[in-house]
Amino acid sequence: MELKINGLTKEFKDFRAVDHVSCSMERGVYGLLGVNGAGKTTLMRMICTLLRPTEGTITWDGQDIFKMDAAYRKILGYLPQDFGFYPDFTVQDYMMYISSIKGLRPAVAKKRTEVLLDRVGLKRVKKRKMRALSGGMQRRVGVAQAMLNDPKILILDEPTAGLDPNERIRFRNLISELSEDRLVLLSTHIVSDVEFIAGDILLMKDGKFFMNGTADEIISEMDQAVWSCTVPRKEADRYLSRYLVSNVKTVPGGVELRILAERCPVEGAVMEEAALEDAFLLYFGEKAGEHHDGEI
Amino acid sequence: MMVKYELKRIFTKRLNRLLLAVAVIIGVVMSVFAVTSEWYADSEGINHETPDAIRRLTQDKNQWKGELTGDVIAQIVADRQEIARDYPDEAPDTVYGERIQAYSDITQMVDTILGGDEGYSPGALQGITTDQAKEIYSIREQYIEQLIQKYGDTPEKQEFLRKQYEKTDTPFYYEPADSWDNMRLYATTYGIILVVLIGFLAAGIFSDEFSLGADAVFFSCRYSRTRAVRSKILTGLLMATVIYWVGMALLSGISFAVMGVSGFNTPYQVDSPYCIYNVTFGQLYLIILVCGYIASLLSASVAMLLSAKTHSANIAVCVPFILFCVSPFIGRALPFDTFFQLTPDQLVNILNCARRTYIYQIGSLVFRQIPFIMLFYTLAAAVFLPLIYQCYRKYGLKRR
Repeated sequence: MELKINGLTKEFKDFRAVDHVSCSMERGVYGLLGVNGAGKTTLMRMICTLLRPTEGTITWDGQDIFKMDAAYRKILGYLPQDFGFYPDFTVQDYMMYISSIKGLRPAVAKKRTEVLLDRVGLKRVKKRKMRALSGGMQRRVGVAQAMLNDPKILILDEPTAGLDPNERIRFRNLISELSEDRLVLLSTHIVSDVEFIAGDILLMKDGKFFMNGTADEIISEMDQAVWSCTVPRKEADRYLSRYLVSNVKTVPGGVELRILAERCPVEGAVMEEAALEDAFLLYFGEKAGEHHDGEI
Repeated sequence: MMVKYELKRIFTKRLNRLLLAVAVIIGVVMSVFAVTSEWYADSEGINHETPDAIRRLTQDKNQWKGELTGDVIAQIVADRQEIARDYPDEAPDTVYGERIQAYSDITQMVDTILGGDEGYSPGALQGITTDQAKEIYSIREQYIEQLIQKYGDTPEKQEFLRKQYEKTDTPFYYEPADSWDNMRLYATTYGIILVVLIGFLAAGIFSDEFSLGADAVFFSCRYSRTRAVRSKILTGLLMATVIYWVGMALLSGISFAVMGVSGFNTPYQVDSPYCIYNVTFGQLYLIILVCGYIASLLSASVAMLLSAKTHSANIAVCVPFILFCVSPFIGRALPFDTFFQLTPDQLVNILNCARRTYIYQIGSLVFRQIPFIMLFYTLAAAVFLPLIYQCYRKYGLKRR
């Protein structure tokens, strides 16, 4: 059970979205972390056979996934970032339709739909039109459809984007439950999504992987320390322009800053334990946490 | 199961449902128009435009049912000439109801025969003698020879035309065919509406995934590039078939149930004596329906191909509309009349195609317009299907 990416490149005219990416993934949850525009979605679309790479190969247990064709997609589940659906279908009809394209027999599809809708907490609304569901519910249907064929490879592209905090936590837990005995690749630009559930984290920037490892390994690679200090409000801008600041909080008498710096940035600053969010800020700089619609 | 849900997708869309409801309403309204569009004059000269007018008209005309021999035609011509002598300006309604109405189809046929290539020539029968009326089929044959010379610009075409005309037996058998005559126009018009509607519905089959952003899930599924594409194509054809035939069954069913089906076996030559198609009124109506069906399949195929190629329904919706509704106007404005008689819109213009003498020659092969467009566009619709399949299944698989 090995998904191997070797020298993968994707070019669109004169733009290189993914640039000679290589890695190997086995069972477990992998977090693909990067800012918007890093190439995560392009990479995932190639893994899902939606895009053919310009160069490089993707193999599953040694076989080229594009040559495997339907046999590969049989073991694949995918929730895209922009989860589109058929608004006039009921939830059940949508699940049955996707089941048919996945090649499930009607009786199996019906049973699987029941089980999965129950698991994502949507059994009660199975007769409701897709258009009538909330954003969180729609994404839960998205996860359910990805699981219909009990895939060995589950690809989730920004599954928590646009969800409120409660839904996001619920989603994380759901993904964690579903990750048993399969390879889950979870792409996000929200650090907390992967911090708790991903075993391995791949950091992607400008179409390339530039670091991978567990959350602790990535944090330990940081060449800067994390400092906490309170400064007068009028001086806050000076620190914001001079240092990477991962958090700004207004407190009585000033502003509490969480600063990334090699040395103590101000007298009285206290060294804090670094978190993955700090590492994300350090590696991705000012773009970290930006929200763009046009993910590529 | 895929086809079932593809069909469900089409028929659960609000706009599609609305359009289908409108199509049903139009079908019913056109049926009402069809059954009330004829009028019957009784022996007192009073006009009746009730739904039973055609049945009463048929009953009245049935007195002339049978072979239209020279003697029968001479009798009618003599009677009509006598009326014209008695009433030089215009025959009163009572005379029309009592005498003229019953044989109006036959006098019209005689006037058309006497008009030759010019077609219907009102009042022409007033200028012939009883003996000439008895020889009406000989007069027709003389005009046919002129037409053969006119339209047969090669020996092969002349031979071909001669053979076609020989197929029609004379004297013509007559049975009033007003219901079939009437329905040709309504079936043609309703056919155009259904063909455009089918193109609209088919356009969504291959573009919805992209317009709704559902393409990623679709193409990541096991059979997305094989069975699912075939199912979509099958859905398009099935949808076109069901909508077209249900629509036509609705229109024809209501109309013929009210008007009756008298005249199915009447040769079309009674209406158009120089027609090169040896068919009856009933057969011509069926040809109109079959050609409309071919147009529906073509409309669905073209719409599916364009939407599979462009991933957008906009162009896919426009093209069938242009093909079947706009191109006739373009054809009339341009000088290539012969070419524009072979464009797809002719499939929904059989009503006029049957009246005209359009023949073509490739090498020694001579063929007529209607069989050619039927065959050619059936093949075209079929050829598009593998193209749709290849086009759609390869989505995203280019290296750049």
